Amino acid sequence: MPAHKSDMSSSKKGKGDRFSINRRTFLKASAFTGAAVAASRIIKYPEASLVSSQPSTEGVITERWITTSCLNCSTRCATQVRVVNGKAVKIVGNPLSQVSEGEICPRGHIGLQVLYDPNRLSVPLKRTNPAKGRGVAPDWVPISWSQALGEVSARLKALRDEAQPHQLLLLHGLNTSSDEDMIYRFAAAYGTPNVVSGDTLENEAAKSGRWLADGNSSHIAYDFGQTNYILVFGADILEYEKPLARNLRMWGKIRRERPNRAKVVVIDRRYSVTAAKSDRWLPVNPGSDAALAMALANVIISEGLYDTDFISGWTTGFDEYKELALSYYSPQRVAAITGIETDTIRQIAREFARSRPAIAWAGRGVAAWPNGTYNSYAIFCLNALVGSIDTPGGVIYQENPGYRDLPEPAEDDIARAGKDKPRLDFGKTSLFPAAAAVANQVADSILNDDPYPLAVAIGFNSNFNMSAPGAWRWDAALKKLPYYVHLAPFISEMAEYADIILPSSTFLEEWGYDHSPPGSGFAEAKIKQPVVAPLDDSKGVADTIFEIASRLGGTVASSFAAIGGDAQGFVRYRTETLMPWSDFREKGVWLGPAYQYHKYDRIFKTPSRKFEFYSGNLENLLKRTGQGVASRLVYLPHYEEVKFLGDELSYPLVLSTYQPLLNIENGNQNYPWAQEFFLVMHGSGWTNFVEMNSQTARSLGIRDGEMVWVESLFNRIKVRARVTEGIHPQVVAIAVGQGHYAAGRWQQAIGVNPNEIIGVDYDRFSGQSSFFNTRVKVYRA
Amino acid sequence: MARWGMVIDLDKCTACQACSVACKAENNVPHGSPQEHTRRTALFWHKVIAVSRGEYPSASIDLIPMPCMHCDKAPCVTVCPVKATYRRDDGIIIQDFRRCIGCKYCMIACPYGVRNFNYKEQEEQEYHRPDLPPDRASRGPWPFPQRVHGVVEKCTFCFHRIDQGIREGKKIGVEVVPACAEACPARAIYFGDLDDPDSQVSQLLASREWLRLREGMGTSPKVFYLPR
Repeated sequence: MPAHKSDMSSSKKGKGDRFSINRRTFLKASAFTGAAVAASRIIKYPEASLVSSQPSTEGVITERWITTSCLNCSTRCATQVRVVNGKAVKIVGNPLSQVSEGEICPRGHIGLQVLYDPNRLSVPLKRTNPAKGRGVAPDWVPISWSQALGEVSARLKALRDEAQPHQLLLLHGLNTSSDEDMIYRFAAAYGTPNVVSGDTLENEAAKSGRWLADGNSSHIAYDFGQTNYILVFGADILEYEKPLARNLRMWGKIRRERPNRAKVVVIDRRYSVTAAKSDRWLPVNPGSDAALAMALANVIISEGLYDTDFISGWTTGFDEYKELALSYYSPQRVAAITGIETDTIRQIAREFARSRPAIAWAGRGVAAWPNGTYNSYAIFCLNALVGSIDTPGGVIYQENPGYRDLPEPAEDDIARAGKDKPRLDFGKTSLFPAAAAVANQVADSILNDDPYPLAVAIGFNSNFNMSAPGAWRWDAALKKLPYYVHLAPFISEMAEYADIILPSSTFLEEWGYDHSPPGSGFAEAKIKQPVVAPLDDSKGVADTIFEIASRLGGTVASSFAAIGGDAQGFVRYRTETLMPWSDFREKGVWLGPAYQYHKYDRIFKTPSRKFEFYSGNLENLLKRTGQGVASRLVYLPHYEEVKFLGDELSYPLVLSTYQPLLNIENGNQNYPWAQEFFLVMHGSGWTNFVEMNSQTARSLGIRDGEMVWVESLFNRIKVRARVTEGIHPQVVAIAVGQGHYAAGRWQQAIGVNPNEIIGVDYDRFSGQSSFFNTRVKVYRA
Repeated sequence: MARWGMVIDLDKCTACQACSVACKAENNVPHGSPQEHTRRTALFWHKVIAVSRGEYPSASIDLIPMPCMHCDKAPCVTVCPVKATYRRDDGIIIQDFRRCIGCKYCMIACPYGVRNFNYKEQEEQEYHRPDLPPDRASRGPWPFPQRVHGVVEKCTFCFHRIDQGIREGKKIGVEVVPACAEACPARAIYFGDLDDPDSQVSQLLASREWLRLREGMGTSPKVFYLPR
């Protein structure tokens, strides 16, 4: 045994030895005897021997560092986990990852509390109380995996035998990329067109606004680290926007790790962390961002500050856009709409155009509106005006890892017919012509049996009755579902409606491959491998799907036959073409080639093969859905006045929500570290507030810290008021992530969920849920 | 003998709180609860505080990571009646749990509010973590697998890492830094020898405007902030 010196008293000679002998002796004894523990309870001020200033390392029998990746948000950072004696004790970033340059955000560390969450499910559960509803006890009984999978498979088999596979709905929240690939493959092989991702609640209008301009329907990637100027429109780039850890790393870089410090101007109705760390905050009237973007275009064009080479070489529609901007969006007129002064509009327009490369970043705060597509389109066009398209420091075009192609799923006539049925979410119909998927519509479709009734739903780590606006509709829809199966590591609000819960393992016990959302430009794949054996009787999502598919037999089983056999085999099958399996397991990261800029001949997926200020994509789409309109304005970026839910007289304030960094995105918040650091801007945790401007609070007679009701047309919630200077006087804000009621010692009955009072509305092209156009009134409780 | 100090670049800092969370993990600082939050008895060796100024629309909030300032003229050391808190030769202010009688004089004397009283009982499960083994050998033996009720606690600049690093001949401030600095994704936290003019911390202080908190108290803190 090595004789360590006591660190605590190292400056005082002689003490170390004396204390260490006592302590050792005591610890050895106390580790196994209850008597010692009992003794410590009655000692008020412990003796030296109780203090472990110098622990031995003799308790370490095995120590390993295992490479894997995070899944506490969709950034999916590569990590390394230290495992001692079979227990994960520390998570750090993987230095080989270039997306975040080896860094992780605090959510990464909280992986430990996700893994060892006291709320974890240990066995499959079956409901015995047929009644369902909020507050109705499901009366769970534990069952075996074989019984659980047998019952689920029997239901699924019967539905297929009746040739009704489209009556299966698959819902998913945040899953690994590989598990998502398995879920979509299962839907294809089984024969249902109904797969809905929770991600479509969040980002669809940002994608469709961009699609109008350049034909790419994906998250926008910004070459953040090389930019000189960022105009942030409603983007919480240091709290929410993805890839988050890369944003945090690049923030350090653009501020002080290069000779020229980038300037950041934040346009937001709320003083976010990003605003606090920026150079200037411009509070904007809610919903008016597109007008501001057009006014900036007005100044940039009228003063000749735009990039003439890019405009003439690689864009179309500029003349119409120019005329629109110049004739309707003068800074004077827009100042009245946005509440931002004329001189300020001129000043930031000039700075933006002269500090190239510059980025105009449209975030969730401007996308989740009924006019979200136009907001995003108008802001995205500013990037083209200053030539920041596929250039260093501008918008870039994300590449993804080329995993090995999967063979086409085997399809029988039942599957083919099922997939031809109309979709439950009305995506790509005249209702939501540009939608990939419309998660929130599904609740109403279930309630109305429109276009047909559902028989079975399976939720993979989803929690829509917390995360979707109009949460109460999801409660009703889940109650109505004849048979619901939930997969998650813990009991959530949605799990409360399940007929069977299958305990899935967490991302730290699972095989998977993953890649980050657009941001880096270059491709990077990361492995997930179990750092510890799955706890209790939990099972990974991919393995569960393999087993169900095999039980269903026929073409469903054969679709999953030659792709690795199980989760580990599947990951190896798809990634072995990237790098040797043992290398991937050891390094944890596969890195694609360096990013190439200026690919103008390839990146524009528009009718003109150019960047379009007049959207040919939208024109063609609306013609196809029979919604073609005479007005050319529809196809140009422009500002539309927002229609709010609730009249201004009865509901004078606009409710805004935001996601703090320490909201964990897996649908659970039962993590003490995440809770106690939850609201950094308020130096507070374990709660959320309705945040209101001091002028507003004064006029309503509300004091800081008082309990108040926040009431919309639809519902009301009781929450503590926080009076602040950092919010627009017509706006109140509530952080999401709290208000859990189903289970969990560290989350139950803490704070409120604003989605319980937000009404249901959509961006009319993308089907993006509109989170921000609900009006409320606030009064003392 | 080195004089260890920390430089926090508030221009790079993103207020993400990775520092505060990493500190909890590194030092086995027990997490709090809603009740402790209300009673203000939760333990934080490191916390990001929010300081607001001005009125809408020109309001601003400074978000400031707060470790112990390890003052050269530390009031906590002066007031401690039992010499439980003392300054090491390398300038780190240490709290000796064995000597502390829990009188809280130091908590009142500290102008920065970074000292915590440990109200937790040993048998509280989330608090007593003998299951967590010490951190990896290269970072030094982990000092706090078990903790003590009824004494004052605070940040140690992760002295266990520094001491181990010195024993192994590593470059402190380059290869070995406190857990908060290591965890910072924006790389805003620097650590090193303030008396070595070639250290990164000295270079930064020579090249940028800097400030220390509550300079007027005459505490001469060794945590420096680089403002925007």
